[in-house]
Amino acid sequence: MNRAGLRALRVGIFSALIRPRALACLALLLLIAFLLVTFGLTHGSLPIPASAIGRALVYPQTLDAETHYIVMDIRLPRLLMAVLCGAMLGTAGAAMQSITRNGLADPGLIGVKEGCSAAVLLLIFQFPALGLYWRPLIGMAGGLLTALLVVALARDISRPRFILIGIGVSWAFAAAMGIFMTTADVRDVQTAMLWLAGSLHAANWTLVGIAAAWAAPAFALLLFTARAADVALLGNQTATGLGVRTSRLALLRVLAPVVLTAACVSCVGSIGFVGLIAPHMARLLLRGGQTALLTGSAVLGALLVLLADNVGRLAFLPLQLPAGIVISMIGGPFFLLLLWQRRDTF
Amino acid sequence: MRTSLAFILFTLLLVMGAIAHLGIGARFIAPQTVVEAFFHFEPRNFDHNVIIKLRLLRLCAAMVTGAALGVAGVLLQSVIRNPLGEPHILGLNAGAALAVVLTSALGLSLPFGRPLVAAAGAAALFLLVLLFSSSGRTGLTPMKVTLCGVAMSAFASSITAAALILDEQTLLAMRTWLAGDLSGLNGDTIGSAAGLAAVGFALALWLSPSLNMLALGDRMAQGLGVSLLKTRLFALLAIALLCGAAVSVAGPIGFIGLVVPQLIRRLVSVDLRVMVPLSALCGALVLLLADIAARTLFTPYELATGVMTALVGAPVFILMASRMFK
Repeated sequence: MNRAGLRALRVGIFSALIRPRALACLALLLLIAFLLVTFGLTHGSLPIPASAIGRALVYPQTLDAETHYIVMDIRLPRLLMAVLCGAMLGTAGAAMQSITRNGLADPGLIGVKEGCSAAVLLLIFQFPALGLYWRPLIGMAGGLLTALLVVALARDISRPRFILIGIGVSWAFAAAMGIFMTTADVRDVQTAMLWLAGSLHAANWTLVGIAAAWAAPAFALLLFTARAADVALLGNQTATGLGVRTSRLALLRVLAPVVLTAACVSCVGSIGFVGLIAPHMARLLLRGGQTALLTGSAVLGALLVLLADNVGRLAFLPLQLPAGIVISMIGGPFFLLLLWQRRDTF
Repeated sequence: MRTSLAFILFTLLLVMGAIAHLGIGARFIAPQTVVEAFFHFEPRNFDHNVIIKLRLLRLCAAMVTGAALGVAGVLLQSVIRNPLGEPHILGLNAGAALAVVLTSALGLSLPFGRPLVAAAGAAALFLLVLLFSSSGRTGLTPMKVTLCGVAMSAFASSITAAALILDEQTLLAMRTWLAGDLSGLNGDTIGSAAGLAAVGFALALWLSPSLNMLALGDRMAQGLGVSLLKTRLFALLAIALLCGAAVSVAGPIGFIGLVVPQLIRRLVSVDLRVMVPLSALCGALVLLLADIAARTLFTPYELATGVMTALVGAPVFILMASRMFK
């Protein structure tokens, strides 16, 4: 074993360097996520024992129709959506933080979220006939435009000013959304309000499918560029000298987080702060390069959203709090903690 | 010369704005009739009744809110020496809203009601922001204050949102108020808020000479005989009272305190003895205009006034932030 805790693993002609400690940590996190999913499946306004669900996996006919419906069509898509969204937002944050070399950069914080929401609202109000499939596409266009606007205004993306300008842009878009909300038809506004609150309760299999379809290519893109991104952290000049095409890399790595965030926002509404919290926790727990960071952020983000959703769903029965609100209760103080750590630097 | 000219100009504009504000609505009333309603009020005239009994309340609310927010912005900026200081950005509005919603959800009723509760909330949140952002070797830098304010404000508003979802009664009572809307007011709230704002304004006028010296730097001010702690504490009190008054009338309306002092600093003077009263005038004027725009731009819909101020204020914030932090 060498100093970084790396160990060589050989299977036939394939070999890889792995870190047992990081893998163990990851396995533990996955186990916790699995336990949370089971907890979410069994608890709710109608408690269903885990043994009944386990038996139903082997003998499907033992579950009556109503219970089957609750588990398969209400709870399971919702939990899967939580996992998927958490993973998407977490990785988006990790990628954004690494390419901007700015620990406070989170696509949700710098206005991408609001840009997406404004675009999707426009879609809901102006073209209510268009289906769910269009939402991620339109949202993405809005998010990309917003990201471009913020980058153009801030010029240097690795300084705190980037965040401040992003926040300003997000205020402007929030005000624009206010206009849409007051001038539109009441029935459309209700649809929009439900969607905006960042609640997972509307999740269904279609939405899970849409989110997964956008998540897969973006994840792949990020993982394939992980090595180059590791090198790029050394600085633009060094990275260019070592053979990384930095401008193309930057383009891809800004594109992917925006795509992930936009897909997520257009499926479940606005959930903030996950992209800020998950990467920092992943760095703390796993250390190591981009691959570890991305995987860790994905798993931790999923855990975070799962936890927030379970708390929001069950803590105040029969009322439900949207997961977005629960997370910003944790997220605000966490942001302050990050500022506290950097208190001497700006 | 320039100062007195500015005073006269802003007063004139304010009077004209007020007449326009009273005239515009679901039924347009000509300016002459508006003026007549004040000087020769006829109880039988329908237009006169509409103006005095319905629209005057909204005008008063807009003027009190705008003036209070303008002055609060000036004070905030001179206390933290940062032109980005603004009640909405630094989270004071969110703190005030949280305090009001929490007391309403817990079923508490306090003397003087909403305005004082809101003031206490604003003060508490601002103290937290100050404590947090003055840590570290660099001290109270503009960037740290602003980011801390944003974080605190996100935290406070998430708790507000949760309280509103969990308590339906409070949601019903607070829904329009929270959007930063001037409609649906009652006279009592405006009365007590105006009283509170007047106290805050008097404090601000009294403090303005010492705050002027504070702008020269802590040491210089101390050498000139200004008590730093006393000045800052009283300024904080004045800010809290003004914010509390503004928020309790109209809900969280942002960016007035950012735009108004900047305008006056550019156009008239940096002397706080001039800036405080002028900001009150100018703040009232700006909010009147925003309210008129909010009601007329998208007829028949009425936007919330806070939306209108944010539409103008957010770009100003972006411009200022990108100039300030090179």
